[in-house]
Amino acid sequence: MTQPQGEVFDLGYQRYDGPREGRMRARKALWTNGIRTALGISRGARSKIMPILFFGVVMTPAVIVILMASVLGLTEDLWGRGEYFAWIILPIILFSAIIAPELLCPDRRDRVLHLYLVRPLTTDDYVIGRWLAFFTISLILVYAGQLVLFLGFTLAADEPFQYLQDNWLDVPRFMAVGFLIAAFTTTIPLAVASFTPRKAYAAGFVIALFVVSSAAAAILTECDDENRDGGEPSGECEPLTGENAKWFDLINVGFVPIAVGDLIFDEKDKSPLDVRLYDTRGGEWIVVSWYLFLVLGPALLLLYKYRRVEI
Amino acid sequence: MPPLLQASGLTKIYGSTSALQSLSFELESGITGLLGPNGAGKSTAMKLFLGLIKPTSGSAEVMGEKPYESVEIRSRLGYMPEHDCLPSAVTASEFLTHMAQISGLPPSHARTRAADVLRHVGLDEERYRSIGEYSTGMQQRVKLAQALVHDPVLVLLDEPTAGLDPAGREEMLLLIQRTGSEFGITIILSSHLMGDVERTCDRVIVLDEGRVTEDGDVANFTRETQSIQIDVDDHRSELVEALSNRGIEAIIDGASLVVELGADEEYDTIRDAIVETDARLRRLAPRRHQLTDIFMGDTQ
Repeated sequence: MTQPQGEVFDLGYQRYDGPREGRMRARKALWTNGIRTALGISRGARSKIMPILFFGVVMTPAVIVILMASVLGLTEDLWGRGEYFAWIILPIILFSAIIAPELLCPDRRDRVLHLYLVRPLTTDDYVIGRWLAFFTISLILVYAGQLVLFLGFTLAADEPFQYLQDNWLDVPRFMAVGFLIAAFTTTIPLAVASFTPRKAYAAGFVIALFVVSSAAAAILTECDDENRDGGEPSGECEPLTGENAKWFDLINVGFVPIAVGDLIFDEKDKSPLDVRLYDTRGGEWIVVSWYLFLVLGPALLLLYKYRRVEI
Repeated sequence: MPPLLQASGLTKIYGSTSALQSLSFELESGITGLLGPNGAGKSTAMKLFLGLIKPTSGSAEVMGEKPYESVEIRSRLGYMPEHDCLPSAVTASEFLTHMAQISGLPPSHARTRAADVLRHVGLDEERYRSIGEYSTGMQQRVKLAQALVHDPVLVLLDEPTAGLDPAGREEMLLLIQRTGSEFGITIILSSHLMGDVERTCDRVIVLDEGRVTEDGDVANFTRETQSIQIDVDDHRSELVEALSNRGIEAIIDGASLVVELGADEEYDTIRDAIVETDARLRRLAPRRHQLTDIFMGDTQ
């Protein structure tokens, strides 16, 4: 007969006398949880599909360009830094529209928010924690492709150190533009998500906002061939709305952070966007101010909405 | 040293509606029931204790600090709401670990506490299942566990047996009793069910239309009366008649007979009447007050 090797004791309820890190730990936990939620970590496989898919979509153009650069030996003028952002802005907006509401809507729908707010957190802590979580993911998304491009071009160059010396300024520039894009694509979807507990409504509204604003701006600034200089497709364009077209460009909200990015990269001429306001005196400042309005306005709205939450 | 919870002239007015008027009491330990009908001001009082709303006048202090002004003190409070408040897509273990961190515990300690508390509420085996797959009773346990996971000094439970079947209610009440007695955590239990308060609480504060109408130990409200309660299975009317013939007036109270006790010899007389009528006796005992009497104005 075997002898018992051990015994199981019920220790009963143990009081906790370990460290308590207060509000700062609560904020960190909210940030970490927001990142895990957005990336589908510790959730089913379906939650991970979207983040992986969008990461792939965002990285593909950078990888293709680098492959071309290394195979064909092209390093200069293959692609402007700002052009890469112009290519990826659409998938980033789609990613934000679909994923960002995941950070706010379920907490209100399931009323988990009540449990947060009876702990050492204020509504501002909650909103800022969630905002920072999605902002972090957006930053990774926008920086990853640029890093691949920069490192790829550097390694593909005949003289990598010379390339670095000539182009080091691109790094702070793409970091600054990436910051602005991430702030933009984080704030608007989260502000929209603060109005509904349903993720699908929030995602649908954000996508519609960008699609409709883009279409409206395209119609209002349309340039028929008849209006082109000499009727030639490449001729100077006179939009149907004439001089006012430069203002109607601003209706296309998705283009605003790219337009500001072109200013930072000093690539106004390379930009795929035709920003007519740049030809106007002080036009740059108008575009920058419009960007600030589009980010700060929803940010304040987001904070205000949560301060009004009834528990 | 300040009391654990102190309410001083606590008043909350919404527009022209007075939700709570001059609530004053102190709390150090044990389980206190906040009893009253819907709209009595129980939820308003809970929100004031948690610092979710600001009092119109007066103050609520936990360990000498006002939760409305100092959010840090909330790391020592636990709250179990009446309504659903759980995410369906995550496991109980992950949810509790997260909630412990939100209350200020470092991640490694939070994981240990989550496992401990889930074991105490009887969900040890189920902790890696998504909460959405749980029964109502199991979800109520998770709600209680999240209120305890950071080892608070004071826990506020809002209608903790709401939506539970009789067996689930029984288990929840036992768990609350254990939490208060074995774990040594002070509890405020808000309920409109007198049975819940009578079963679990040491003290009861009765609210009606925002005012305190009664405040005292539950034992005082349920002390013995000068009446005898007789429960028989049959021949009840014959027994009433037999008692009447012996000069004892019995009052029918629900399924029981109640007799005002005179001399001790009356026990023998009642016994004889029961034998004579051949009634099957289930219970013969001094009657106790019930919390329902508070609302009937019959606590003397």
